[in-house]
Amino acid sequence: MNDSDTVTHAEKYGGDVGIVEYSDFYCDEPLDFELGGRLDSFNVRYETYGRLNEEKSNAILVCHALTGDHHCAGVYSIRDKKSGWWNNIIGPEKPLDTNKYFVICSNCIGGCRGTTGPSSVNPKTGQRYNLTFPAVTMRDMVSVQERLVSHLGIGKLAMAIGGSMGGMQALQWAIDFPDRVEKICALATTSRQNAQAIAFNEVGRSAIMQDPVWNGGNYELARVPSVGLGIARMMAHITYLSDKGLDDKFGREHKKIAGDEIFKPSFEIENYLHYQGQSFVNRFDANTYLYFTRALDLFDLRNYGGSLEAAFKNVEAKTLVVGFTSDWLFPPQQNREIVKALLRIGKTASYAEIKSDLGHDSFLIHSPKLYNLVEYFLNA
Amino acid sequence: MPDDKNSKSLSKRKIELRAISEWISEGERVLDLGCGRGILLNELARRKNIYGVGVDTDFDKIVRAIKRGVNAYHGDIMDLLSAFDDASFDWIVCSRTLPELENAKDVVFEALRVGRRVAVGFVNHAYWRNRLTTALTGDRIVNEVFPLKWDSSRPTNAISVNSFKEFCAENDIKIARSHFLRGDWETPCKLLPNIFSGYAIFEIFKEKRR
Repeated sequence: MNDSDTVTHAEKYGGDVGIVEYSDFYCDEPLDFELGGRLDSFNVRYETYGRLNEEKSNAILVCHALTGDHHCAGVYSIRDKKSGWWNNIIGPEKPLDTNKYFVICSNCIGGCRGTTGPSSVNPKTGQRYNLTFPAVTMRDMVSVQERLVSHLGIGKLAMAIGGSMGGMQALQWAIDFPDRVEKICALATTSRQNAQAIAFNEVGRSAIMQDPVWNGGNYELARVPSVGLGIARMMAHITYLSDKGLDDKFGREHKKIAGDEIFKPSFEIENYLHYQGQSFVNRFDANTYLYFTRALDLFDLRNYGGSLEAAFKNVEAKTLVVGFTSDWLFPPQQNREIVKALLRIGKTASYAEIKSDLGHDSFLIHSPKLYNLVEYFLNA
Repeated sequence: MPDDKNSKSLSKRKIELRAISEWISEGERVLDLGCGRGILLNELARRKNIYGVGVDTDFDKIVRAIKRGVNAYHGDIMDLLSAFDDASFDWIVCSRTLPELENAKDVVFEALRVGRRVAVGFVNHAYWRNRLTTALTGDRIVNEVFPLKWDSSRPTNAISVNSFKEFCAENDIKIARSHFLRGDWETPCKLLPNIFSGYAIFEIFKEKRR
């Protein structure tokens, strides 16, 4: 016991996992979806970092957000300029320390990055599923992750962690598999998608579905509804940032606007959003975007028993929820609510709030405060 | 800060926590308002297997509490209290928290609703040394308990043993027991606690109307 211990943030942020490769888990046990529909078999693409110990007790499952995937750390080759989406928190001597822990991340069911989803071919018909793919919920995503975890021989996860939609999956893990997860860490998330978040998703879906190329979901992969998907991404991207964050980064910086070309994108922020929209179209499937945003809209833990307390009744996992002050997609209040409900029914739960100007995406960005929280919670 | 001063305040902190933890029984439910780094709850969990929840507004302290494995809620005391039903906790601990609050009365009332018993501990501002300093200099004392001068310390409400008793009487709050410590925070103070106690702990409760 030491009352005077001061918080010393070590100014080292660990190493990288280096060159990684993905694996595929082909599951031929049928999967029944929560809202109906079935797949006789499916593929799960995933990556792992670190080593599983003999007791198989050191596994951490990382759950990705709406547009993330299984590639959350390392690079695929030395020429690869971009590392995985959560490289800053995963690696040797990083908060998710790959010297100590075995980190797993898989692409969600319904995805478009290797796990079976609407753009996959239905073996029964030889055609792509498109909108015949079953509706996907958070529970479905988690039940597929559970299949993978079991396939890897892991009885109980040391932790499930994720932000945003990933945080929802972490919560769903604690509810659906109470004895299979020791701790959960949910960042910048909510126990249910509120009207504002549903509203943004509907604007995005409308942009996609009103793109003539979308064609009821039956577009050719050579010609995708890139206008609609690009606009959806541009709009959604704004909701991941904040007024101050955008102003600090772009302000009103712009090229000279000529009188005969006043609508040509000239502000830095305009170019940035167009770039975001364009690069997104190249890596993400429009139908997956529809399915995943709907999974978000449908997410409401109160569906499991009528109240949060009822939903959390059997939770055994120690829980840490982290909110970010400038997050206006899933504001701190929605994060607090989760912990309050858990504490009301005598569970083990903590809440911390990080001051940040960077909006919803704060959880993805370099933050020693977040690193300390995650590391201390994981090893407490 | 010199080492001896630091360790002096450290041991005072320990003594204060020991005094409060003696009142708490095995397996009880404890809510610590202003839990700091979670030292009291951590000790109680280890020694008495209690279920504890702490709340504090200081991020760095909350991080430390989480490191100790304490249930820690980073946020406003009233906000957290409002989440709980009546008599949800066996004990609510309010150790050196009231002097720092702008809404101390509201917090005490909410604590009495949510807790079956409330333990309030505070530095007695009417302790003779505190009085003497104020009488001689006109300023608040600076010592190991209040290490910082006004320019960098947090605002502190001055509470005395007598004014706390008056507060309880005015608001129909019953005092179940009290415990006074001398200026060393170790020796029990039997005589004229308003003058001779440096630290006071009260157990208060409110009779529930049926």
